[in-house]
Amino acid sequence: MGVTCVAQVPVAEGKSVQQTVEILTRKLELLGAEKQGTFCVDCETYHTAASTMGNQGQTGKLMYVMHNSEYPLSCFALFENGPCLIADANFDILMVKLKGFFQNAKANKIESRGTRYQYCDFLVKVGTVTMGPSARGISVEVEYCPCVIANDCWNLLIEFMQSFMGSHTPGIPSVFGTKHDSIYSPADTMVQYMELFNKIRKQQQVPVAGIR
Amino acid sequence: MAEGVLSPGVNLEAFSQAITAIQALRSSVTRVFDCLKDGMRNKETLEGREKGFVAAFQESLHSVSRDLGELERLSNLVGKPSENHPLHNSGLLSLDPVQDKTPLYSQLLQAYKWSNKLQYHAGLASGLLNQQSLKRSANQMGVSAKRRPKAQPTTLVLPPQYVDDVINRIDRMFPEMSIQLSRPNGTSAMLLVTLGKVLKVIVVMRSLFIDRTIVKGYNENVYTEDGKLDIWSKSNYQVFQKVTDHATTALLHYQLPQMPDVVVRSFMTWLRSYIKLFQAPCQRCGKFLQDGLPPTWRDFRTLEAFHDTCRQ
Ligand SMILES: [Zn+2]
Repeated sequence: MGVTCVAQVPVAEGKSVQQTVEILTRKLELLGAEKQGTFCVDCETYHTAASTMGNQGQTGKLMYVMHNSEYPLSCFALFENGPCLIADANFDILMVKLKGFFQNAKANKIESRGTRYQYCDFLVKVGTVTMGPSARGISVEVEYCPCVIANDCWNLLIEFMQSFMGSHTPGIPSVFGTKHDSIYSPADTMVQYMELFNKIRKQQQVPVAGIR
Repeated sequence: MAEGVLSPGVNLEAFSQAITAIQALRSSVTRVFDCLKDGMRNKETLEGREKGFVAAFQESLHSVSRDLGELERLSNLVGKPSENHPLHNSGLLSLDPVQDKTPLYSQLLQAYKWSNKLQYHAGLASGLLNQQSLKRSANQMGVSAKRRPKAQPTTLVLPPQYVDDVINRIDRMFPEMSIQLSRPNGTSAMLLVTLGKVLKVIVVMRSLFIDRTIVKGYNENVYTEDGKLDIWSKSNYQVFQKVTDHATTALLHYQLPQMPDVVVRSFMTWLRSYIKLFQAPCQRCGKFLQDGLPPTWRDFRTLEAFHDTCRQ
């Protein structure tokens, strides 16, 4: 496990999501990256059930339960800005039992699927983000595997991302800021995906509202 | 040669008897082969012929073994020539009565003295030359001349305590570098060097000489299944495979057989420059990556970072 940066790439003008993904992966292949199977990151949203809320005007917190094909035996449970729990995969069954406290907002299920590439010591995952039946965006995850300290290799990551993302190279992820020189963990990647999914959910509402 | 020359160690009486015994042995051995050569003599019956032959053969073999026994007995009586002379048997040359015609002995003594002197001067020259080479290397490595240690024992059998002390001193020199010393296979030390949160290095030592080194990632396993340091498998990451290659080159570069502790310290100083492995751009092209790799080379003198292909 190295240091990972997750970013969104906007759909190219006049192109579909699928076409933009193809442009990106072609650039990667030209660079010399090799295809290594597929990947999937999914995220389900849970509301704290109304019955459990206190009467002090507490607002319901959202909890996200996520999976990452890179860690097939684990399940990640996160609160926004809150702690991240890494559990065994059968944590999902526990969530069913906790129906009385956490309710699954099924319509909010979002996931990113795509191809996994390896280039030297980098892993690159270009995914199509879908919510329900429709493609909503593109995610690019870049991991530099040999390094464990996020801030040590940030400049190196930027340089690599620029080589195929060009002007869409992201800024430093917010999770890097709090890491200082502690070791980067898979949970940090999941937080980045959660933030990306939240951003895409919100973005989606704007054009839909605009069109109608 | 006058009588008494070989004495007191040698019994001349026994000597002449021994020579006689050798002659007897030779003749009895000849008889054995004669007997075999002649084969079976003509006798009336086949059985008679065989019997006669076997008896004659046995008889001659017995006399061989008897003569051999006698020779062995006498050779014990002969004694050994004296070995007290400082030049051993060559000392016997001094006893030659015709010194003037064959001055071998005095020539031998001259040669001996000359060879002694040569060895002495060669030792002095080697000492001087080594001081010169140290000066140059010390400048190269940026080690100040003041800290140059006195000549250390150079053998491969340094006491483990001495090796421990040298390693401990290096460990204390660099706070971001921790060195764990273990001796899983007898007296040879193995070091596990952890450099910040960047990399780990397994160093296999023979006395104070570094035999082998493997660089791995900070998050990579450096132990085998039975909990020993894994000195054979390489890193999974290309960047550390490259650094391993360079570290092996460095071992060949930092050579100073007279002062192995200086070599270890220089190597560790060089290794420490990898603390910025992922943070230092190449000093030539200014970039972080080339073919997907950061600058993996560190100059032996300046410790500057370069891509493998950007050095020189
Ligand atoms: Zn370069």
